[in-house]
Amino acid sequence: MSFLSEPDERQFLEVIGPEGVPLTFPAAGISERAFAFMIDLLVITIAFIIILLGSVYLIGMTGMMEPAMLIMVGLFGLRYGYFAGFEIYWQGSTPGKRLMNLKVISRDGTGLTTEAIIARNLMRDVELFLPMIAILSPSSLFGDTAWWLTAPLVLWLIAMMLLPFYAKERTRVGDLVGGTVVVRVPRVELIADEAAGVGAGELGFSPSQLGHYGESELETLARLLRDAEAGHATVADLSVVASTIAGKIGYGGSLADPETFLRGFYAAQRSALEKRLLFGRRKATKHER
Amino acid sequence: MSMAGKRRADPAIPRSLAFRRDREHVWAELDELVEKVLRGGLHVLDSEQLRRLPMLYRATVSSLAVARKTALDKALVAYLEALAARAYLAMYGSRKATRGSFRRALMVSFPQNVRAMSKEVGVAFLITLLGMVVAAGLMQSDIGWYDAFVAPELAGGRDPQASTESLRDALYGGGEEALSLFATYLFTHNAGIGLMAFALGFAAGIPTALLLFTNGLMLGAFLSLYASRGLLVPLVGWLLPHGIPEIGAIVLCGAAGLHLGRAMLMPGQYTLREAIRRAGQRASMVVFGCIVLFAIAGVVEGIFRQVILDDRIRFGLAAFNALWFFGWLLLGGRPKRLRRERRLKAKK
Repeated sequence: MSFLSEPDERQFLEVIGPEGVPLTFPAAGISERAFAFMIDLLVITIAFIIILLGSVYLIGMTGMMEPAMLIMVGLFGLRYGYFAGFEIYWQGSTPGKRLMNLKVISRDGTGLTTEAIIARNLMRDVELFLPMIAILSPSSLFGDTAWWLTAPLVLWLIAMMLLPFYAKERTRVGDLVGGTVVVRVPRVELIADEAAGVGAGELGFSPSQLGHYGESELETLARLLRDAEAGHATVADLSVVASTIAGKIGYGGSLADPETFLRGFYAAQRSALEKRLLFGRRKATKHER
Repeated sequence: MSMAGKRRADPAIPRSLAFRRDREHVWAELDELVEKVLRGGLHVLDSEQLRRLPMLYRATVSSLAVARKTALDKALVAYLEALAARAYLAMYGSRKATRGSFRRALMVSFPQNVRAMSKEVGVAFLITLLGMVVAAGLMQSDIGWYDAFVAPELAGGRDPQASTESLRDALYGGGEEALSLFATYLFTHNAGIGLMAFALGFAAGIPTALLLFTNGLMLGAFLSLYASRGLLVPLVGWLLPHGIPEIGAIVLCGAAGLHLGRAMLMPGQYTLREAIRRAGQRASMVVFGCIVLFAIAGVVEGIFRQVILDDRIRFGLAAFNALWFFGWLLLGGRPKRLRRERRLKAKK
């Protein structure tokens, strides 16, 4: 089952919104979508059982067969209407998708249209229910057609069913036809800025002292400071890093409090690099000039 | 203002920090509104919040654009990326069905899309016709072919071994069973076949063509069986009232499937992905209209056919159905276009 857990090949996709700024979304993984689908199937099954019991009760009450209509309409409505209905009225999510934190969006960044939702859900029938029927009971689908006629069709159906495993962005056939993609709703907390609360330039670095490191080292330092705050890095760790930096940039001041030094250096270094950036000069690593 | 000026003057304070301090309250406000909308939909916001949402969203998206280019605090950029993406989901997640969108889909979009795929409709019709002719031709030489074309459970005793009397009775027998139940069964059964004909178009349209052909075979077999007993006119009267919307809808669903298959084989000027998307959306609107057609056909077939036993009224009903069916498909959604053309002409 290793292909179901996909920690590293987490795919991002870029969608250009109406404002013209590209936004990035994490594409939903297969396992998440499978879970969401199973939850929805469960809801559908429960709804159908309720309809079934209700109509049987009504038939028993009235003594007429008319309530059986409810069963047929209910089955039809659940099979073709459940997903489309929820996605239209719940902004691209169904109960299962909502629990799994997933949403359907339009691939081209314009709003998700009703047509797109209908199209992607009509295909669900042929790419999911049909292959299942074809595998579980082929005779109910094909009668007694010769096997060499049905075999290519069955293979094609299976290839379609497995499309999310090899297509980019994990699209299923319905997504292809609807021009949609399923994304994870991204949630990131805004954590405190490591440069905040630093005394205004009291350490007094000179411009040449701030010319050694690049963005990658800066980010590493920020991560170290965050670790120290969370208690994952000790004073000894900080002290090693502080003396390495002080040695490299030729800093002569006291290193008695390595955290204060590192914070001050982080703020000053970021400030200097961001100033360079304003003039379009990026310094990605310390190896660049 | 003077505070901000002082901060910027200090070389040890990164610009992105000042940038964040100035705008943080906007992001926090947007964050709160977005979470509300994602949980309960746009209608949970009051009018003041609704007014502020797009402003906050645009301000945040522009913050993101600036931060991507100038901020070296990766955590800040990651937060803005996620916030802007979530706000996009809240604002553009789906276009809510507005009032009249259902009517527009049926009366404008459906007939327009049918006409847009008129070639495929023609092909689907010809395939059905071919099936009918083949079945009729084969049964002319050997009536036994009937069993190959019509499944016994569908024939329900209406086969070459049946007497002319019983064949006639099948046309005029007012069913005793629950009519609305029968109508519902017919609707769901036929709509299922139609939807399958469309969705199978994704296999390059080949299964769709096969489905249309076998449907034609069955139709042809029925017609020629009744014709061989001199019952052609009563059968047509029995068939046409519901057959116009029902067979019409099957042909249209097949055409939608062929349209999809054609986009896969011949994407033309578009990429394959784009061609499939365009064809898929057009086809799905046609199928949506067909579901309504199947419902109408189910009612006509399940109720009227059992109640109305007079040939003349049956043909009258058929003519009436043909009138609205073709009127709908050929004229629906046209006046608007004419008006636009007239306006364009007036401009010139």
